[in-house]
This record gives sequence, C-alpha cells and structure tokens, in this order.
Amino acid sequence: MFHLPSALRRWETLLLAILAVVVLFNVTRSPFYLRIDNLVNVFELSIEKIIVALVMTFIIINGEIDLSVASVMGLAACVVARLHADGVAMPLAVLVALTVGLLCGAFNGFWIAYVGLPSLAVTLAGLIGYRGAARILLEDKSIGNFPEWFNALGQRPLVGPFPLALIVFFVMLIAAAIILQRTAFGRYVYVIGNNKEVARYAGIRVKQVKMRLFMASGLIAALAGVLLAARLGAVRGNTAEGFELDIITMVLLGGVSIFGGSGTLTGVALSILIILNLRNGMSLANITGNTQTGVIGALLILSVLVPNLVGRLRALRSRMRPATTGPTPQPAQEVEIS
Amino acid sequence: MKAITRAIRPEQLREITLAALIVVVVLFFSSQIQGYFSGRTFNRVTASVAIIAVVAVGQTLVVLTRNIDLSVGSIVGFSAYFVGTQLANDNTLSPAFAIALAIGLGALMGAINGALVAYGRVPAIIVTLGTLAIYRTILVDMSGAKTVVVDALPQWLKDLPRTNLIQIGELDIRLMFGLAVFVVLVFQLVLVYLRFGRRLYAIGSNPEAARNAGLPTQRIVFSAFVLCGALAGLAGFMFLARFGTITVVAGQGMELQSVAAVVVGGVNIFGGSGSMIGAFLGATLIDLLEQSLIRWLRVSEFWRDALLGLLILLAVASDAVILNRLRRIWAQDGVSVQGKPVE
Amino acid sequence: MIRLHKPIASLIVASLLLGACAAPVAAPQAPAAPAATEPPAAPAATQAPAAPSGEVVKAEPGKAVKMVLLPKFLGIAVFDQANQGAQEAHKELGNPEKLEFLGPTPENSVAGQIEIVTTAATQGVNAVMLSNNAGDQIVPAVKKAVEAGTKVVTWDSPIPSAEGESVFVAQVDFNETGKVMADMALSILGADGGKFAVLSASPDAANQNAWIAAMKEALKDPKYAKLELLDVVYGNDQSEESYKQALALVDKYPDMELIMAPTTVGIAAAAKAMTDEGLCDKVKVSGLGLPAEMVEYTKSGCAPEFALWSFVDLGYLTYYLTYLLATNQIEAKEGVKFKAGRMGEYTITKDPTREKGLRVLMGPFTVYNKDNVDK
Repeated sequence: MFHLPSALRRWETLLLAILAVVVLFNVTRSPFYLRIDNLVNVFELSIEKIIVALVMTFIIINGEIDLSVASVMGLAACVVARLHADGVAMPLAVLVALTVGLLCGAFNGFWIAYVGLPSLAVTLAGLIGYRGAARILLEDKSIGNFPEWFNALGQRPLVGPFPLALIVFFVMLIAAAIILQRTAFGRYVYVIGNNKEVARYAGIRVKQVKMRLFMASGLIAALAGVLLAARLGAVRGNTAEGFELDIITMVLLGGVSIFGGSGTLTGVALSILIILNLRNGMSLANITGNTQTGVIGALLILSVLVPNLVGRLRALRSRMRPATTGPTPQPAQEVEIS
Repeated sequence: MKAITRAIRPEQLREITLAALIVVVVLFFSSQIQGYFSGRTFNRVTASVAIIAVVAVGQTLVVLTRNIDLSVGSIVGFSAYFVGTQLANDNTLSPAFAIALAIGLGALMGAINGALVAYGRVPAIIVTLGTLAIYRTILVDMSGAKTVVVDALPQWLKDLPRTNLIQIGELDIRLMFGLAVFVVLVFQLVLVYLRFGRRLYAIGSNPEAARNAGLPTQRIVFSAFVLCGALAGLAGFMFLARFGTITVVAGQGMELQSVAAVVVGGVNIFGGSGSMIGAFLGATLIDLLEQSLIRWLRVSEFWRDALLGLLILLAVASDAVILNRLRRIWAQDGVSVQGKPVE
Repeated sequence: MIRLHKPIASLIVASLLLGACAAPVAAPQAPAAPAATEPPAAPAATQAPAAPSGEVVKAEPGKAVKMVLLPKFLGIAVFDQANQGAQEAHKELGNPEKLEFLGPTPENSVAGQIEIVTTAATQGVNAVMLSNNAGDQIVPAVKKAVEAGTKVVTWDSPIPSAEGESVFVAQVDFNETGKVMADMALSILGADGGKFAVLSASPDAANQNAWIAAMKEALKDPKYAKLELLDVVYGNDQSEESYKQALALVDKYPDMELIMAPTTVGIAAAAKAMTDEGLCDKVKVSGLGLPAEMVEYTKSGCAPEFALWSFVDLGYLTYYLTYLLATNQIEAKEGVKFKAGRMGEYTITKDPTREKGLRVLMGPFTVYNKDNVDK
C-alpha cells in the first residue's frame, strides 16, 4: 500500500488531464486569465481553504473526518478580533487564537481517539458548538481596524507577487508531503486508515496518532482563520461559515478514499488546482452563483464514475479475450470497501 | 441486572436512553422556564419536528447500508418549490396528486443518487456532495428568482399545518405530526419484519459478506436511496405546507440536521445498527433542545449554538458510554450484539 | 448497465482525448505572459468635464461602460427586481456594453462577493454596483478594484466604513426606517402602546442591525413612550428558524402584542406561525415585507401594516448614478445634482448614518395595508 498501485497513478493522470482541459479552456476563453495578478488571485481567494485541505487529507486518509474546521477558523478569527478590540497586543492575540484552535482540535481528538465516538458525530457537534462560541465572542458586531502590518500580511505581497498565506501554503504542502510519504508517522496514518485493528496489532499507537491529527487540524484551521482575518481586514461571527464542504470536496476530488487508507497529496494538490482554476475561469466567463457549485459537483461525481466505467469496460473486454489480463477497476473508490 | 439486560435488545436500550435524556431535558427546563411543562411545549416541538423526522427516516435507511445522503436538503427544497409552483398555477390540483408529485420527484432524485452509488460504484458522500450542489443549481436556474407565495396556494394546503388529527386536552396531535409518526412506525416495522429491512442491516454490517451470501446488494442500496429521496420529497411537501413562502433556499442545511438527528439517535454512522424510533427520538431531542434554549431567558441569544453543540456531543457520548458498558455485560452473558463495538 | 452509460462513456473518452492533447500546457504555474488585452478600458467620456456643483446633470446616453450589478446572492425576488430596474435604465441610456447580473450563492455570499469584485477588477469592468453582504470584509477587495480603475457604488446595503465606495444609494433613510417601524408599531398597538419584540435576520446583517439601532434611538422620543421593546432575536433569514423564533417569543413574553421583523423572510415566517397557531388576534406582525408574500396575512388582519420600497426603482436609480460616475459626467462629491430618467432629480449628500461616506437617498417608504397591498 505504500507503493502506489498503478490504478492510483492513473487517477492522478486523469486529474492532470482535467486540469489541462480547464487551463486550456481558461486561456482560450479569457484574455485576463494568464495575467500574473489573476493567477495570484486564483490562489489568494481560496487560500485559507486549501491550507486546511492539506490537513484534511491526513484526517480522511486516516479514515476520519473533521466537519468542524470552518467553525474553528471562524472561532480563531473571532478570538483575534475580540482580543484586539479589548486592547491585547496583536501577536499575543494571534497566539491565543492558535492555542484555542489547538484546544478545539484536542477536544475533538479526545472524544474520537480516547472515548471512541465517531468523528462525524463529534465534529458535527463541533461545527455547531465552535460556531456558537464565535458568536458569543462577537455577538452582532463586526470588528476590524487591525494594525496596518497585520492587514498587510493578508493583503499585500510579501515575496514577489506572493502574499504570506500563499507562502505558508507552499511550505506546508512540502512539509505535508514529506510527513505523509517519508516518515513513520505518515505510514501509520495510512495503516490506521486501512485497518485500525491491524494497526493496533502492529504496535501502532492508534489513539495517539488520531489525537495528534485532530490537534493538527485544529491548529491549522486556526492559523487559516487568522490569515483569513488578515486578508479580509474585519471579522464577523459568520466568518468562514460553510467552508467545510468545499474543503472536503477538494480532498475527495483528489482521489482520497472517504473510507480511509488511500490517497496522495499529489492528487489533492492537482484537485486544488483544478477547482481553483475552474472557479476562476467561470468567474472570468461571468458564470457565477449556483452554476459554479453545480459544475464542480458534477465534476466530482464524473471524476470517480468515469474511471469506474472505463475500468469495467476494460474488464469486460478482457473477459472476452481471456488471454490478456485487463487492469482492474480502481479499487480505492469502490463503494462497498470499508 | 442480568435479567433486565437479557430482556431488552441493544437497539431498545438506545431508545430508552434517548427517551430518558428527553425526560431529563424536559424536567430541567421545567424548572427553568415558566409555563414550560405544558401541552404548549408538546405542541410546539411536535409541529416543528415533523419535517426533519421524515427526512431523518430516509437518512437512516441510507446510513444503515453504510452510506450517506447529503443531498436531502436540496431535494426537500426542490420538491417544495416545484410542487408549490404547480399548486400556485392551478389551485384545483388534488392533494393526492400534489403529494404523489412530491414523492415522485424525490424518488427520481433519489434514484439518480442510488444509481450512481450502487451501479456506478461512486462513494455515496461524493455522489451526494455533488448532487447537493447540482439539484440546488437546477432549482435556482429553473426558478428565475420567483417566490412561491402563500396567497397563491390553495386553501386546503394553507389549512394543513393547523389541522389536528386528534386533540387530547391541551395536546394537539397535528395531522403533519401524525404523518411523520406514521412514516416512522411503518419504516420501523419494515426494518424489523421485512426481508428488505434485515438486508439493510446485513449490508451495513458487512458488505463483503452480504455480497458473498448472494444478497442483491446493489439493488438494495439503490432502493434505500430511492426511498430516502422519496421521503425527502414528502418532507418537501410538508415544508411547503408549513412555511408557504418558498424561495430557492428552502431546505438548505437539512442535510446536516438530518445527519445530526441520525447520529444522536444512535444509528451507527458506519452502518449496520440503529432504528427508526432512535432516529425519531434523536430528531426530537435536538428540536427540544433548540426550542428550550430559545425560550430560556437566562441564556442570551448568542449562547444558543455553543450550548446546542455541547449538548449534542453529550447525548452522543452518554449513549456510547452506557452502551459500551452494557456491551461488556452482554458479552459476558453471551448475548450477540448487532453492529461493531465502538473502539 | 452498459447501455445506460454509453453516452457518458463516449463523452469521457472525448474529454480524455482532449485532455491528452492539452497535457503539455498543463503547467500549473504557467508563466504569465503579459496578456494581449485591452487595458482596463478607460471610460469613454473622460473628456467631458464634470459639471460644476449646483447644476443638474442630465445623462448623456450611448457611452460604452462595462457594468456589473452584484446582489447579495442570486435567486431572490427582490434582487431580481433591482436587476429589472437596472436593465430598464441600461436600455434607456443605450450603453452598448452588456449589463452583467452576477451574484454568489446564499451559503457562500461573503467569499463569493469578494471573488466577483476581484474578478470584475481583473476584467477591467468600469463599475460594480454592490449590495454589500460582507460588511467591512469587502473593503480590501473593493480598494484593489478602485486602484485598478473600477468604480464601486453600493445600493441596498453599504460598506459600513465607506472605504473604497463612491456613493451609497440608500433605498430609504436608515434613521427613517427606525421611525417608520416605531410608527407602525404605534399604529398597530394603538395610542395605549404595548410590548413588542424584534425578529431580525442574522446577527451579521448590517442593514438590519442599523435599522434596529435606529429604532431603539427613535423609541426614546416621548411620542413612543408607551412602546416597550422586549427582545431582539435572530431567525438567520431562514423560514424554519424564523418560524421557531416567532413562536418562542410568544411563549417567552405572554404580554407581547407585536412582532416587528425588518426582514422579508422573517416577517412572512412570523405571520405564518401566528396564523397556524391561531394567535393572530393576540399578536400582530409588522416590519419590512414584500407585498406579494404578505397579501394573505394583511387581508386576514394578521399583519395589518408593513413597509417596503421599490427594488425596481432602486436598481434603476443606482444604474443612472453609476453610469454618470463611470462616464465621468459627474463626480462623487457632496452637492452634485443629477437627473435619473423617469425618477427625477437627486442630490449626492453626506450620509448622516455613517461617519464617512456619501449617499443618494431614494425613499420614500411605501406603507402597505389592506387597501393597497394587492395593487
């Protein structure tokens, strides 16, 4: 399972092909697409979501899910804003917000790893509860007027044309890839996602790994929330509301199995590129609103359906010519596998 | 103790735990809110829980097979809007036709989900995350931003939410609540007594084994989605009757509400165990908590969601902890337990 | 099975082929060739001097300006009405460019609005007409758009800090809204007054918050001494939650006689809840509502009076003003007067409800009752 099966590599080829179509479409349809400021915007407009998508990849490969990320993002942003409004120095406020995120993650992780509740249930409660905590902090207010340096971090380029958040994303992408593909911890994440019992018999500390993953999820969601606050320059109680489904969509389109145990960061990175460029291209073509989400929904379904059908067609053909062994349909996405 | 644990099934115990939690909540808020312990609270909760209960029944069917349907909110909205438009255009359409239309539309959308999951072998969460967006998109495009207005609807539909089935003293049993309870009971019986129902559990507990045993797993999963869609369609009709004014955002967010009801109701999210009564009690507990919190003068408006999240977590946790403890007792007694133990 | 999926399969094959051909281009970070595009089209009428203040400017038609009308989200009747009005003005003024009506989804409104403003700036759109749903969170995007040469005019809901915004077209005076709500409460409850509660949209809704604040201010007037505001609750502009909240208010405050809902979703849900529970004799409903949605309840006496303005006119006026600004026929300056087609003359003034910021006041309210609700 650590050597990627060829089926998975085919998955990434498919994503690459989709991406190529999207880019080609954008280039031919809009003269503005290739402008450097637009290409930066492609990332910047969704940067917080894609940062969280990286850690969500770990969680889903591990066979769990975290529905509370958007609420943690919102809560962290509200903590920063509340503390700032109460006169706390900004760096300290950010530190507190990150700690709050870590604690939210630890709270989730405790119930999931140590009590053994399903992550869907725990983080669904978190989705409601952490959003509620954000509401308590800000009530009906909007808080802004952050220090200039803080806003600049979110709104101005830091290196070349790239703002801080984009750099954070790329650094995290590399770090995540190394952790997932090159370290023992990364291996554990796959093994546990594949089969928890086997993992335990193999001597892996399942509980500890899960706990760490959820704490990381909380911390990084909080970081993304702070970055969002800096980019928007103001915070309200509903900040980041509803981001969770977008984030999960990115991970699933990347070929990560919702049942755990398989998926790669390369796939997720490609899926992020597809979704972001597709959104941007549609916006440039003046297609907005529900049509955008509908197209991405259709793409999500088709991206799994098509390889399945193609695989089955091949299997059928090879059955007719028994001499050749056809490749099996993509196993990771089969519905019945747990 | 042993005698008691032997006499009841784990599912029943879940239901009893939930019922007990509901009693605790009612007693607690009775001490906090003036005039709470009355028929009025009963009427408010029953009238309000009817719609989500019907959706939760459908969701349970799907979750039992180790799948999930996130598109129910969009189906509810689509069905409410479409049927509402038809009724507004032609007031003479019969109630039976309207209901059949709602159920049929829902079943159709459920069939699309089901076909993709069962025959297209696409994971349910991917399919329904996609159709959640797609069904809503079709609705928005179709609507041309028009609203279904109450004034245009036939009188029988406007009267429906206030129609009582029976009245016992202060307690009103509304027709819509009666319908929801009827749906819950019918599907509970299906689960317990019909081969179809038992096969849902079999697939959810172990899909591999179910297939090896020769069960038509694809057809059963497909049927579960069709039924889930049909029930969401029916819920859409109820939504139309209750709210009257229908815009394209109708039903938004019901996917997570129904999943919450199912999860609190003790239906195993990994399939294979749970009951309709449980899901119904789960939906009721959540609605009761919401209704109580917004009437509790001691907490401000802004504390509501934080408390609700915490209480949902506690409900799930207490259920799991109690059940785990009893599982151990059962295991000693040699009683077979349905579903996987938690951790 | 296979028969069923054949068309899809062929489609897939086609797209795979396409994909294969395009593969070499697929470098994610394509080097940004300076795109061969027209620069953010300088408005056609730069040469026309802005009129001196005091003089009423009549729009010179036929200029080409790219404009986007951006509502809070798509699929809602009032915003479509505003679009109708804007399209009417667009046709009258003979702008050869297309007027785009673009908006986000309701569940993604804030991020979606920011995205559309940003994209509009990239496309070199001359002006964006924004019904702001993002509060001050939209400011960075708007400022960048302004830097890129895009004018931003707000309507329906302004940018609270007014940063980056040229002018706000106010449907009604926000302080006036508070007074109108207090007046309706007084007229429904009678000279003896009574207790009432507010059912608002979401706690983040800037408009509703401003109106409620204005109403609280207005209630200090001795004229309204007998009105008592009990509570403000939020239905998040969802039918279900608004309906529940309305009934909770009835239960919490047995002596409450009126629910004031300054949101079209809330007022309709509250009226339906009172009707369903047979409470209309005891608790009335009022606020801001759409006549078509309220006819039923106004005729039944459940919502005897409510108010609203014309969204068609709001779109029309906004278009006129924005066209004039984008073609540099007028400047966004206090005291500038202009003629907005069939609606007559308007003046840009300081916005008394925001520290900074200019506004054009449309007004007035139409108060609806059983005599005019179905006309």
